[in-house]
Parts: sequence; structure tokens; C-alpha cells
Amino acid sequence: MSDAQRPGDRRDGGGASTVEERLGTRTRYWRSLGELEGSEEFRGWLEREFPEGAAEPPDGITRRTMLQLVGASLSLAGLAACRRPVEAIVPYVSAPEEIVPGVPLRYATTMPFGVNGLGLVVESHEGRPTKIEGNELHPATLGAASAWVQAAIYQLYDPDRAREVLYQNFASTWPKFFDWWKNLHGGVAADQGASLAVLLEPFSSPTQARLVADLKRSFPQARVVAYAPLGDESVYAGIAAASGAVYEPAYHFDKARVIVSLDADFLLDDRDAVRHARGFSAGRRAGDAMNRLYVVESALTITGIAADHRLRLQSRKVAAFAAALGAELGVGPAPGATSDFDTKWLQAVARDLKANAGKSLIVAGAHQPAAVHAAVAALNGALGNVGSTVTYVDVKETMRSSTEQLKELVGDMQAGKIKVLLVAGGNPVYDAPADLDLAGGMSKVQSRIRLGSHVDETSAKCDWHLPEAHFLEAWGDARCVGGPLSVVQPLIEPLFGGKSTIELLAILQSGEPKPGYDLVRETWKAILPAADFESSWNRVLHDGVLKDSAPSPASPRMDSKVMGQLAKGSGDGAEGLEVVFRSSAAVYDGRYANNAWLQEAPEPVSKLTWDNAAVISADTARGLGLKTGDVARLKLRDRELAVPVLVVPGSADQSVSVALGYGRTAAGRVGNRVGFDAYALRTTAAAGFTVGAHLERTGATHRLVSTHDHWSQEGRVIVQEASLEEYRKNPKVAQEHEAELHPQKSLWQDRKYAVGPQWGMAIDLNTCIGCNACLVACQSENNIPSVGKDQVSRGRELHWIRIDRYFAGQPQEPESVVFQPVPCQQCENAPCEQVCPVAATVHDAQGLNVMVYNRCIGTRYCSNNCPYKVRRFNFYNLTKDTPETLKMAQNPDVTVRARGVMEKCSYCVQRLNRARIDAKLAGKALQDGDAKTACQETCPTEAITFGDIRDPKSKVSEIKASDRNYNLLPELNTRPRTTYLMRLRNPNPELEKA
Amino acid sequence: MAQIFPERMNQLPLILGMALPLGLVGAIAGVWYFFSPWYTNVGYQPTQPVAYSHRLHAGEMEINCRYCHAMVEVSPAAGVPPTQTCMNCHTLAKKDSPLLQPIRDSASSNSPMHWVRVHELADYVYFEHAPHLKAGVGCVSCHGRIDQMEVVHQKEPLSMSWCLDCHRDPGPNLRPTDQVTNMRWVPPANHAEWAKQTIRERHIEPPVDCSGCHR
Repeated sequence: MSDAQRPGDRRDGGGASTVEERLGTRTRYWRSLGELEGSEEFRGWLEREFPEGAAEPPDGITRRTMLQLVGASLSLAGLAACRRPVEAIVPYVSAPEEIVPGVPLRYATTMPFGVNGLGLVVESHEGRPTKIEGNELHPATLGAASAWVQAAIYQLYDPDRAREVLYQNFASTWPKFFDWWKNLHGGVAADQGASLAVLLEPFSSPTQARLVADLKRSFPQARVVAYAPLGDESVYAGIAAASGAVYEPAYHFDKARVIVSLDADFLLDDRDAVRHARGFSAGRRAGDAMNRLYVVESALTITGIAADHRLRLQSRKVAAFAAALGAELGVGPAPGATSDFDTKWLQAVARDLKANAGKSLIVAGAHQPAAVHAAVAALNGALGNVGSTVTYVDVKETMRSSTEQLKELVGDMQAGKIKVLLVAGGNPVYDAPADLDLAGGMSKVQSRIRLGSHVDETSAKCDWHLPEAHFLEAWGDARCVGGPLSVVQPLIEPLFGGKSTIELLAILQSGEPKPGYDLVRETWKAILPAADFESSWNRVLHDGVLKDSAPSPASPRMDSKVMGQLAKGSGDGAEGLEVVFRSSAAVYDGRYANNAWLQEAPEPVSKLTWDNAAVISADTARGLGLKTGDVARLKLRDRELAVPVLVVPGSADQSVSVALGYGRTAAGRVGNRVGFDAYALRTTAAAGFTVGAHLERTGATHRLVSTHDHWSQEGRVIVQEASLEEYRKNPKVAQEHEAELHPQKSLWQDRKYAVGPQWGMAIDLNTCIGCNACLVACQSENNIPSVGKDQVSRGRELHWIRIDRYFAGQPQEPESVVFQPVPCQQCENAPCEQVCPVAATVHDAQGLNVMVYNRCIGTRYCSNNCPYKVRRFNFYNLTKDTPETLKMAQNPDVTVRARGVMEKCSYCVQRLNRARIDAKLAGKALQDGDAKTACQETCPTEAITFGDIRDPKSKVSEIKASDRNYNLLPELNTRPRTTYLMRLRNPNPELEKA
Repeated sequence: MAQIFPERMNQLPLILGMALPLGLVGAIAGVWYFFSPWYTNVGYQPTQPVAYSHRLHAGEMEINCRYCHAMVEVSPAAGVPPTQTCMNCHTLAKKDSPLLQPIRDSASSNSPMHWVRVHELADYVYFEHAPHLKAGVGCVSCHGRIDQMEVVHQKEPLSMSWCLDCHRDPGPNLRPTDQVTNMRWVPPANHAEWAKQTIRERHIEPPVDCSGCHR
């Protein structure tokens, strides 16, 4: 295809093409393969503001008929409906002391996440939790939160949560369950609990550990097993192999100058990802001491995108790479066979590691086998990183996932040894290894009790379903990675009468219900000083974490003999494709399948929504005669799965990556039958990845909906990046093309912006990792509805911030990939305002481009005229049928929009007003940092800065004064208040192309 | 030569003759309705579950507004008092009055009162009491002489233009902050000067942009 036909060079006459010409030496960026090839579909997105059929509702009634009907009924209704409804004011009978109606309260709590605990601060409006933020005092979050944490609010109010106790699918009650268990209790106790089994999720909680110990004391023969599909078993097994004991590893990316990731997506797919991201970004910001990240991986991840050097390598070859790296570093034997990866690359990495011994860090992905983790531990040990960039903590009070024990348990169930089984949390019938036949084993158990938040796949195999309390509804405690202790503090009574796992364990042990509050305090009586227990307890509740409660790190000696294990069993050289099972960025292991916020958040790399797919490389697809959207049969020995294929640039050849957690059948209204269930292929022997798979065309197709072509910039250069070296030579490189522009004059009279705070934002592309936390935080803060797959396919998603992802270079092996979050740019000279016929979008004195919903008549002219494509239109009254429980999740400080109005990022104007009024009430001037936007507050890497640009000492002014600061599309003279900082890369000079 | 106008245009004067008066009547009716207290609800005076008299409590007995509307200085909402506030006095005063039966029922059954809202703003407006009091806007400016109302009614239109009148020129409605709840406060002769000075000194800058009240 010739250059002239490429979308970037088109039609704009003077505008885009000349800019591109002028920037001819710059890298060309593209978002999708369709854009690169100039496909029909892409052109469709390009040429219309909203694609073909966007104005048609899905069910066949056209908008015009709708308007006619509505018009007729309106004229009849006339003035009669103008009288406003009578509204009641319902005050308290006796007002609680701490609640001031209209003023939200904030409480510290903790979200248990596997064996981690994420410290949070949750906002509560009159007893109704509405928004989650990270807790600045908590070492696991440091004030930030991930998309999963943000979406926990939706999880709490999910209308499909289990609402009652069920016994054999009929409504029952908790007292009936207590009586039932009391009858059984004696018998179970008589045989020392040999007939009792408890299947839990992995946890790290002193109270739960104590209750499990109590249970084992009452029933010494009882089996207590923990299982999670993404339980990091190989990580612990590897550490145990190298050091002789199981430790909890804690990585300190902030201290690492050189980082090597072996198939690890540590910025997203990790229980400690938030802290990793914070540490990594600190190293990114370090100026001349900027860190360097090497990533070896089979599928493109956000960690690979953040890398300075990325090696595309199949997962099965990572072990060989680790062995070769070890040999280069002088640890372990030289690998026998020569490998087919770039030895120059390997040697450069090894030299860099050696030069930064003690300040380097090697991490491996959880789906890599134990041998790789053992090798990584040994290499970190040999490099002197243990104790500096990685610490190992011996955490008691924890129970980790064990597939081995689950297997034994299923064996016992099959043998009829188990009479009573409790499955608390998780969803093992859905996510246990496919070869175990857990459901079959369970059918041989007489009484099956299930504690679950939803009546799901596992509940269907149980007699009793007991509703599980959400972590915002129940007391608990947790130890986070590295050991600090915190308390899980509820903010609301259980909505549906649920109980927590610890409460159920107590019932199981004693037969008597006991409040979770008492259980947790009982544990903490041993932790806190007895002398002033109450005040220390209140301090822990207030801070959300117990100070200095982390055990001091162990200093294990890593045995380098484990390097020799690497050669075995990695499957390198085996025939066929490899299949890599990954966690989903949206639904994790399937637990968030019914969460519409997460399902609709575009997957960071492929921008796929509402689906998973078999991700393969372009060459592999060509070889198999497949293209994106083709449904293929993925065959793995005797198992198979029909799954659509998705070609993602940067994937390793002969490697298939599938996200777990989709294809649920009993998730709820949102999550049922979304995507394809990869657990069907996952077995005990191959939990991470496996080789010997085949992909066959079925001839069928599946509609995969990706947002990467939506809101296209038509090839205009809006991302900028440079290497650290280039930047040092020419610090003005980011503003170069601004300087070349003609002097600009506006038709409009300039505003002065001389008084009050002038709000502005800076987004640092250097630290943005594209993790979606801001997108979900914005959705939660601003009452943004989800629209569903069909509507997303029509380009009607309503997210106020979109995260563009640009590729540069060849589709097989992109030279570079860049994320760019784009909210409303808040232009001082806003094109949207100039075309609105009803002045529904206007400027205010603080420099905000405000959207007045009540004036908007829905012409969509503003969206047409917005060069940044950040305006979203409500095609439907999406909030009309919001379930009652989900209404509780809405922020009372933000208008809920109706059909027919535009909306867009408001810089969280409700928070700005709050800060302004609070400062006024306190009689103080507004300080820098008083007003934070939701995206800024949650960002794990602090990539977003916001504040008063009129104050030269504010953080945002300082950042905007950087050389790297640039405007998007400066040739349009829109003068955006949101600016970007150019991305820097820190490539190894040895590997730089000549 | 062909006709420039088709024949049906002959109807035009007739149609116009009918449409114009109708339009005029419509316009008058529109203005008459939408610009009137009917539409803005001025004078709205619903019957409350208990015939609480502000004239008695706030007027004759001079109970300060903040005794019952306690949150007005710290919260967006002034707050309608909890039943407990009524019972603070009425366990002793008039403790057997049949008029107070609903209050006693509420207290004994722990079920809240359902008062009828008098001053209602549109849902897309975010009004906050606290900053208005902080600036020195008296209760009486928006609510009228509550102390003279046997049954509370809406005094002012609470329309956007009415809000903006004051936001653009707050002076006449300002008073010393210790007088905000004083219903009988009379501005002194030099009030205009005092207000001008106060606005300057205390940076009273009420927002006049959409974003001030709409979020």
C-alpha cells in the first residue's frame, strides 16, 4: 500500500499532511492493524464522528419514529406535568453524633487480595460507601488504587449478589443453618473431623489463621485446604527450592536501577502491582539515574510496553533464557544447547546487571514454572539484590494456594471419606484444574455448604448456599506483602444478611455464631499492648494500618545449584503451539465477571472489551490462515475450546495467550456467557503454560469489540517520545514542532484568567503505564454508566478518559508502544464552545470548559468540532433502569445525566467546588493539593498532576515548566489546560541501533 | 408566464391570520405561566404532619434557628431536626398535647417523621447553606420572615435568575455574620458602604459561572 493512501496523510489539505511532512523524520504511530493497513472498517470509524448506524437503537425502532411518538405524547401531556412532585424530608429520630447529613465521612479499611491486603480509605455518604481511594499511610497502596480496587464499589452493590440463605435451592434462614449444623456437629466431632473438609481461598489474616487453628484443634482430622487459580504456587515453590523455606517476596522497584522481567507483568498482574507501579515510576522519574527495564515475554503486556528493551520470546523458552543469563552472570552451568534468542541482547543485559549488582532486580511471571522462580531467586541472591531490591519475609498467619492438597481432597471426596464440605469464597467448580473433576468429587459428599457472594457455578453443586459478606460489610484483618498488619473495617451492615469467612469458621468450630467484630478484637488483644488496647485499637482503625508491624525481613541464602534444574521440563523445543494462561485485566480470575465497569474497561493492550480471545502474532495467524475475529478450535491433547482469535502486535510466534475468567455460566446478568472459558484447557500439570496445542479454523466468526479505532486522531502526531540521550542533547525536542508553527491569532477575544485558581493538568507519558485505574476511578466518581458490548461496538462508550495506545514500527515487532490518557483538554480557546447553538458548553472564570447538561439539546456539534474527540453522548436514558442497589453506588455530588445530553471530563468540578468551599469555611486560602481529581488521586504511578497553574509554586506549574511539556495539536491554537510530558526511554547504548 | 406562487398560497393570509393571534396568545400564556409564582412555587404552603409553628418557636420564644437546624453552618443541608430535638423540650412542655402525638409516636417507635419539603431546588443544582452563612447572608434573605409564619411557605422564587441577582451584587443581602439568624435585623444607614468594604476585605466572590452550582 502506498503512503499516499494512508489515513494519516489524507484530505486535511494544509493541516495534518503538512505537519506530518514537517515531522517527516518522526516515527509514525498507529493504533490498530486496521489503521496501518487502511482497512474499510477503520475508514468507517474515521470518516464519521459516530459510525454507520450509531443513531439507530438496537431494537429496530428508529430515532425518528421514536421522536414522533414522544412528540405526540408530550403535546398531550402539556402543562399538566409541570407541577413538581411532593418530596418528603426524613430526619433521624435520634441523630448519630458523628454524621452530618450532606457531609461525607471517610473510613480506613483493607481489601484482602489473595495473600495481600490493600489499605484503603472509603468515602461514605450517610452510611453508604460510594468511592474508594488508596490509603496514603498504608504501605501496600501508598494512596493509590488499581482498577480492581476502584470497582469493588460496584461489586458491593452488584444487584445479582446472593440475597438469601438457600437450602437445596429453596429460601432458608441462618438460624435454620445453625440448627442443621448443630445436629451434625456432634457426629463430625466424634470422628475427630475426619469427615469434614474446608476449602478456602488463600489468605493472610491473623484472625482467620487463628480460627483455622481453632478448627483444627476441635477437629484434628479435618482437612483445610486453600486454593485459588492464580495462587502464585510456582513462585513460592521456587523460593522454597532456592532458599529451603517458603518466604513472601517483596520487591522494591524504587531501589532498582536495572530491572529484568522474565515473562512477568508485575505492573498489572500481581497481588502487589500498585506498590510495584509506584516504585517503578519513582525510578522512571529519577532523571539521570532513570531506571532501565528489560522485558522478555511471550505476549505484549503493559510491563512490556513500559520496557526500554523488549525481547519477544515464547514462554517455553524463558527457562532457557534464565539459564543462559545465569551462565553469563557466572551463576550455574553453561546451557548445553545453543538457543535461538539474541545472544548480543542477552550479553548486554548481563553486563548491565553486573554493573548494577545490588541495585538490580530480576522478576519472573507467576505462570512460569517453579524452576524459573528458583533460578530468579538464585540470580538475585548472586547479584546481591536480596535485602535491597528484594526482601523475603517469613509471614505466619497465612495460607497459600495448593493444587496438590486440592487434588488429595478431591481424591478423598471420590473415595467417600468426606461427609461435610464447606467451600468458602472462590469459585472452585468453575476455576479448579479441568482434570481434577471437583464437581464429580463433590457429588459424592453428603453435605455441601457454600459461602459465596453470588449463587455461582460452585453454589449449584452445593446444598446450602450462604450469602457471603463483602469486605466493606464485615470485620476482618490482613497482612499485606512485606508483613504490615491492618484491619478490615466495615462501612455498612451486610446488605443481604451475609457473613464473612471468619464468622462462618467460628460457627463451624463451635456451632454458635459470634460477631466478626469480637473475633477480630480477640486476635488483636494478642497483637496490641494490653495496657492501652482500646486507644491502640482505635489508632489502627483510624490509620488503617498498625505502625511498625512488619516482621523484619529474613536473609535467606539462595542456593545457586537450582540453576541446574532449568534445563528440565520447560517444554522448549516441543512441537506445536504453546498456550499461556493469564489473568484477565478486567475480571482477574473470573471473580469480577459480573462487574460491568471492569468488563467495559478496554483491556490495556488490545483495547478489547466484553471478551477474551486467543491472542496470537500476525505471522502465526497468517500461517494458520486465521484473522482477528475468526473462531478457532484450540486443541490441547484431549481438550478443546472454540475461541476467537485476536492478532496483537508484539506477540511471540507459535504462542497463544488466553485470559482466564471468562465464559462464566452463573456469574449474573452482566457476566454470563461473556467470553470463552479457558479453564476448560487448564490442568494441574499445566497451570501456567503448556505446549503441544493446535489451532484450527472453524469457519465461524465472533464479533470482538475493541475501542482502539474509536476517536481516532487520523494519524496526527499527538504522542511524543525520545530516548534519554536524545533528550539530553536537545532538551527542547518536545516543543520543536510548536516552534515551527506560524504565529497564531484567535478570532475570539482572549479571556484574562486573572483571579482565583486557574486549574490545569499535566499527564506524564513517561510514567503512565496504561493500567486503567484512572478510567474506573472516573467512572465511579462521576456516575458514568456502562453501555454494553453492542453499544461499545457503535462507539458509544461513555468513559470520560480514554487511554490511547499507539504502536510504532512493524506489526510483528513494534519498536515502541506508548499509552496516552486523553480526558477533555479543557481548551482555553475551546472549539466546542464556538459551535454550541444553545451555549450548553461555556467557559468559567477558573478556566474550566464546563458542560451544562440542562441546556444541552443534543445537537452533537460540539463533539464534531472537538479535535481531541473527548466528548461523549448519551444516546439512551441509561440510568433510568439502574437497579436500586446500584443507585447506592452513585456519587450524590454529581448530576446523573439523562438521554440526549453530551458529557465529558469536568476536571471533577464537584471536588473543586468542595475544596473551594471548605477552604472558605475554614477561612483559609486554597492550598496546592486541596483539590485532587479522581484520576489523579488513584493513579498508581502519580502520572497525573493537577492544580492551580496561576500559582508558580504549585506542583502542576513546576511540572508544566519542564522541557518535556507539550500541547496536543498546538497548530489549532486551542490552548489546552491539560498538557503532556514527553515519554523518555532509557535504552542501553550497547543495544542501540547504529 | 407561469404562476410564481402555487394556488394553495391563497390560503396563506387566512392561515397567518389564525396562526398569529394563536401564537400571540400562546406567548402570553407562556409568560403568564412560566414567569409567575405558579411556576416558581412562590407561596407553596404544604400541610405538615405536625402543625409546627415557626411564629411561636422562632418568633415569640425567640429560639435561635440553629437550635433545630444545627448543621446549617457546616453542611450543604441545613438539616431538619431529628425527633429527639423536639423531645428535648416536649418531654416537659405540652407533654400530653394531642397535636404532638406524631412526635411522641416517632420517638417511642423509633420511626422517623416525614416532613414535607417546602423549599425544593431542581436536582441539577447544588446549593450549599454553609458558605452562604459564612459570607453573611441572612436566613431571611431566602426564606423570608419565618418568625412570622404560622405555617411555613416559600417566599422567594428560588429561580436561577433570582440566585444570580444576588451573586452578581451580593451587597444588599450581606450582614455581619453574627446577625445571620436575626430575623429582625435592619440594615443601618451606611450599609452599602459597609457591604462594599466587607466584600473587598473578606473576598466575598460568589460564583456567577455555571460550574458554581451545576456539577
